Amino acid sequence: MGWFSRWRARRNDELSEELEFHLAMRERWNVDRGMNGDAARRNARLRFGNPQVWRERMREIGWMTLPQSVLQDVKYGLRSIRRNARFTAVAVIALAIGIGINTTVFTAYKALVKRGVEARDASSIVSVTQVRESGQQEAQFSYPDYEEYKQAHTLAGVVATGQQFEQLIMSDAGGSSGDRKAASESLFSKWGLVPSSATASKAELASITAVSENYFSVLGIAAVRGRMFSEQDRKQLAAAPAVLISENFWRTRFGGDPQIIGRAIRLNGAAVTIIGITPRDFVGTSIGVPDFWVPLSLRPVIHPGDKSLKDVEELCCRLFGRLAPEASMDQVQAEMSSIATQRSKLHKVKDRKDELKRVLVSIASPFPRKLDSGLRFAIFLIMLATAMVLVIACANVASLQLARAAARQNELGVRISLGASRRRLIRQLLTESALLGLIAGVVALLSSWAMLRVMAKLAKDTLPANMGTFIVNVNPDAAIFTYVFGISILAGVLFGLAPSLESTRSALTSWMKANSAMAPARNRRLRDWLTGGQVAVSFVLLIAGSMMVRSALHALTMTTGYETKHVVDVTLQFPEGPEYDSARQNAVLKNVIERINARPGIAEITTGRPPDGGGLRSAAVAIDGAKAEAHNMKAFLFYTYVEANYFHALDIPIVYGRGFHAGAGTQEPTVVLSETAAQNLWPGQNPIGRTLEMNSDGNYHAKNELTPDGRAYQVVGVAHDTRGVLLDNSDAAEVYLQIPENRRNEFPTLVRTSIAPGQLMRGIEETIASVDGNIVANASTLEDMLKQTPPFLVSGMVALIAGTVGLLGLVLSAMGIYGTLSYMVVLRTREVGIRMALGARRGEVLWLMLRQSSTPVIYGLIVGGLLAIGDFYLLRKVLYGVGPLDVVSYGSISALFLVVALVASFVPARRATQVDPSVALRYE
Amino acid sequence: MSVGSSDNLLGALELLVLKALESGAMHGWGITLHIQTVSNEVLRVEEGSLYPALHRMEKAGWVKAEWGLSENNRRARFYKITAAGRNQLRSEQEKWESVAQAIALVLRSKALA
Repeated sequence: MGWFSRWRARRNDELSEELEFHLAMRERWNVDRGMNGDAARRNARLRFGNPQVWRERMREIGWMTLPQSVLQDVKYGLRSIRRNARFTAVAVIALAIGIGINTTVFTAYKALVKRGVEARDASSIVSVTQVRESGQQEAQFSYPDYEEYKQAHTLAGVVATGQQFEQLIMSDAGGSSGDRKAASESLFSKWGLVPSSATASKAELASITAVSENYFSVLGIAAVRGRMFSEQDRKQLAAAPAVLISENFWRTRFGGDPQIIGRAIRLNGAAVTIIGITPRDFVGTSIGVPDFWVPLSLRPVIHPGDKSLKDVEELCCRLFGRLAPEASMDQVQAEMSSIATQRSKLHKVKDRKDELKRVLVSIASPFPRKLDSGLRFAIFLIMLATAMVLVIACANVASLQLARAAARQNELGVRISLGASRRRLIRQLLTESALLGLIAGVVALLSSWAMLRVMAKLAKDTLPANMGTFIVNVNPDAAIFTYVFGISILAGVLFGLAPSLESTRSALTSWMKANSAMAPARNRRLRDWLTGGQVAVSFVLLIAGSMMVRSALHALTMTTGYETKHVVDVTLQFPEGPEYDSARQNAVLKNVIERINARPGIAEITTGRPPDGGGLRSAAVAIDGAKAEAHNMKAFLFYTYVEANYFHALDIPIVYGRGFHAGAGTQEPTVVLSETAAQNLWPGQNPIGRTLEMNSDGNYHAKNELTPDGRAYQVVGVAHDTRGVLLDNSDAAEVYLQIPENRRNEFPTLVRTSIAPGQLMRGIEETIASVDGNIVANASTLEDMLKQTPPFLVSGMVALIAGTVGLLGLVLSAMGIYGTLSYMVVLRTREVGIRMALGARRGEVLWLMLRQSSTPVIYGLIVGGLLAIGDFYLLRKVLYGVGPLDVVSYGSISALFLVVALVASFVPARRATQVDPSVALRYE
Repeated sequence: MSVGSSDNLLGALELLVLKALESGAMHGWGITLHIQTVSNEVLRVEEGSLYPALHRMEKAGWVKAEWGLSENNRRARFYKITAAGRNQLRSEQEKWESVAQAIALVLRSKALA
C-alpha cells in the first residue's frame, strides 16, 4: 500500500506546514509588538499549545467521524432503496439469479468433484495410484501387491476396495415380493431410463462393495449395530462368511428388522451371515451406498473359481491408506515408490511403456485422479455459462443504475451545492450498490441452499437402488459463505462504480444548468454501450443454449442405423457355481429361446451385443497377411460377436457381399465389416475377399472371453454403419465376427417383435421363470437402452442445464433491456414535449424514439451474432446435426430482443406523446 | 468550552470560527487574529485547538479548505464557509441568543422568597 503511506505522509507534511505557518505568524506579530526574537518565539509556542496534542486530536477526529459518516451513508442508502422499491426489486432479482447460479454451481462442484472420503480425520487418508512409464495412470492394484503395500511403515493402515456396486443374486432373504418391488423402484426406472429388472420369484439382486477386512478400523467407523469385520476375522471368515449390511438397505429391504444380526442369506448361492450394520448414508471411499459390504477374502466363495486374490496380474482393487503420525507425504511417496519398483519385477509386461514402476500418493478422493476429459469439458462449459449469467446480471443492474442515475442529477446537484465532495457522493452511491448486492446475496444464498437440498434429495432417489445410493453432501460451509458475500459485494460495487463515477461527474458540471434533466450525451453513450454489450453477451449465451437444446432433440430423433423400438435385449444372469457350467447354460438358453419363439408376436431371435449396449471390445487390426502387432497394424477397430441372423433381426442392411452363413460356427473364419471399418482398412477399395488378423492384447477383456486373436479372417461382406455408444462415434467402425454355437450363453439375446414389446416383456419374464427360477433376466428394449448411452445422457443433461441457464439468461436480459430502455425513454419525456410543442408530429417523434432505442440493440445483436459463431467451435464435440449458422436460433432470438426493445420504448414514448406538451415541459 | 445538549449544538469555538468566515475566506492565523480583535482581546483560547475544530467542521461539511498564498506570499490553507455552514451558523446564532436571553431573565429576576 505504498500510495496510502505516501498519501498519509503528504497529509502529515501539510499539517505540519499549516501549524508552522501559524506559529511563524504569531512570532512575527509578537516581534512587531516589541518582543525580542527568543521571547517572541517562546510566547508563540506557549499560546499555541503542544502541536503533537493537536495532531493527535485531529487523527482521532478522522477516526471518529468515519463510522458516523458510513452509518449515514448506509441509512441514506436504505432509505433510497425503500423509496425506489420497484427498481430495487428488479435489481435484487437480477443479481440474485446471477449470484445464486454461481453459488449453486460452486457448491455442487465442491460436493461432487472435490469431495474427499468419508472417514474419521479424512484429511490424513491418501489414495495410492500407479503410473505407467508412458505416463498413463492406473488406479487398480492386484491383491498380492496390496498385501505388500500393507506392510508400509509410513502408513498406519492400508485398505483395498474392489469393484463397487457389483450386482449379486441374493436369495433366502425372506420378505414378501412387495418389499422387493419397493426397493427397486426409482425415478429412473419409472421414467423408463433404466432397464427394468424382470426377476424370478426366488431371486433378487443386491449390490455389494468388496473391501479389505481392515477397512472400517482404518477409516475409523463403528457399526451401528453388531460389529464390523476386522483383520483378525480373516481366518474365521473362510469358515463362517460374514457380511455387513448398510443401514439404508436394512431399512428399505428388511424393514429395520431387529433380528437382522446373525441372519443368514445367500449371495450368489453362497451362505453368508450378516454381522453388523454400517451407518446410514456411509459411503467410505466411494460415492454411493451399497446394499452389503463384503470382505475381499470372500471373493472365491461368492465367485467360485475366482483366483483374483492370488493372481498378481489381475488388477482388482484401489488402495487407500492412513498417514502414520509424524509421516509426511514425501516419505509415504518414497516408500510406496520403492515397493512399486520391487513389485514391478514380478509382473510380466509386453510393452516397456506399460511398466508400473512409479506410484503417486495424493489426498484421497472417491474419483481416480484424472477425470474423464469429456466430464472436465462439460464442467468447464457449465462454469463458463454461469459466469456469463452473472455478467449479464451485473450489466443489467449497471444499466438500470445508470438510467436511474440520470434522474438523480437534481438530487446529486443539491448535495454538491450543500458542500458534499465528489468522493463522498461516490462513496454514497457505492454504499447503495453494495447494499443492493448484499441483499441479493442473502436471497441468492437462501434460494441456492434450498435448490441444492432438492438436488441432493433427487440424486438420492433418482438412481435405482440397486446401483448404489448416490450420496451428495451439500451443506453450506464457511468457504461458500465468504465466496457468496464476496461476490455480492463485488458485484454491487462493480455495477455501481461506472454509473456513480459518471453521474457525479455530470452532476458536478451540470447541476447549475437549467436543462439538467436532459441526459448528457456522454451518459447516453455509456448507457447505449452497456445495453449493446448486454445484448451481445446474452445473445452468445442464448445461441449456445438453443444449439444444445436442438442438438439434444436431434439426438433423440436421429436414425441409429438399426431397429430400436421392436427389439428387446434379454440378458440372462446365471447363478455362479459348478452346476451352471457352460453346457448347462447353453442348454437352458436354448430352452428359453424355443419357448419365447413359441409365443405370439415374436418375429425373430438372435444373439449378440446390441450397438447401444455396453461391453465394447477393441483390437489392433492388420491386413493382407501381416501379423497383427503394434508396428504393423493398419487400424484400431472395435469388434463384436454376433449370430448370423443378427443383421436381419436388427434391420441392418448388408451393402456389399453377404452376411454369415447360419450354423457355420467356428468352421469358417469370416468377418463382416461396417462401412467405416472397411473405409479405415482398405480406403476406396473393395474389401470383399481380403484377409485380416486381429490382436486384442493390452485391451480390456475378461478372462476366458472369446477373442479373435490368432487366426486370419476373410472379409465376406460390408454392413451399414450403426450409431454406437461413444460420444465421438468412433465405434461405428465395427468388425463383426460369428459366435460359435457353444458360446451363445456369453452374449445377450435379442428378440425382434412384430408388435409393441410392452406386454411381451412380461411374457418373456414369465417364460424364463418357468424354465428356471434361479436365473435373473434383464429385459429392455433397445430404445430404452439408447436413452442411457453417453451421447444421449450427456446431451440430455447438457441440454437441461443449458436450457435452464439459457432461460434464466433470457429472462434476465429481457428484463434488463426492457427496464433500461423504457426508463431512458421516460427520461426524455421533456424532450418529447419540446419536440411536439415545436410542431413535430406524433408519428415522427415516436419513430425517433423507437429508432434511437433499438440502435444499440441492433449493434449488440450483430456483435453477438458474430461472437456466437465461436459458440459452435467450442461446442462441436457435443452437438449433433446442428450447423454453425443455426438460422432458426439466430432468427428467433434476434426477433425476440428486437420485439422487447421496441415494446420497451414504444409504451413510454406513446404515453409521452399523449401528454399535453406544456405538462411534459414541466416534467422533471 | 462547549455547551452541548445535542450533537448539533456547536461549541462556542466553532460558532466563532463560522462567524469569522462569514465575511470571507481566511487561513487559521487570520481566524485567530479576527476573533482576538473583534472580541476586544477578551476571548483567548489555546490557539492550537483551532485546528482540530477546523478539521471537525471540514468533515461535517461546514467549511471547505484549499491551499493558497497568504498576504506575505507564504503557502497557507484557506478555509471557506459553505452553504451548509451558513445554515448552521444561522441556527446556532438563534439558539445562543435565546439561551443568553433566558440566562439574563433568570439573573434579573427577584429571588423567590
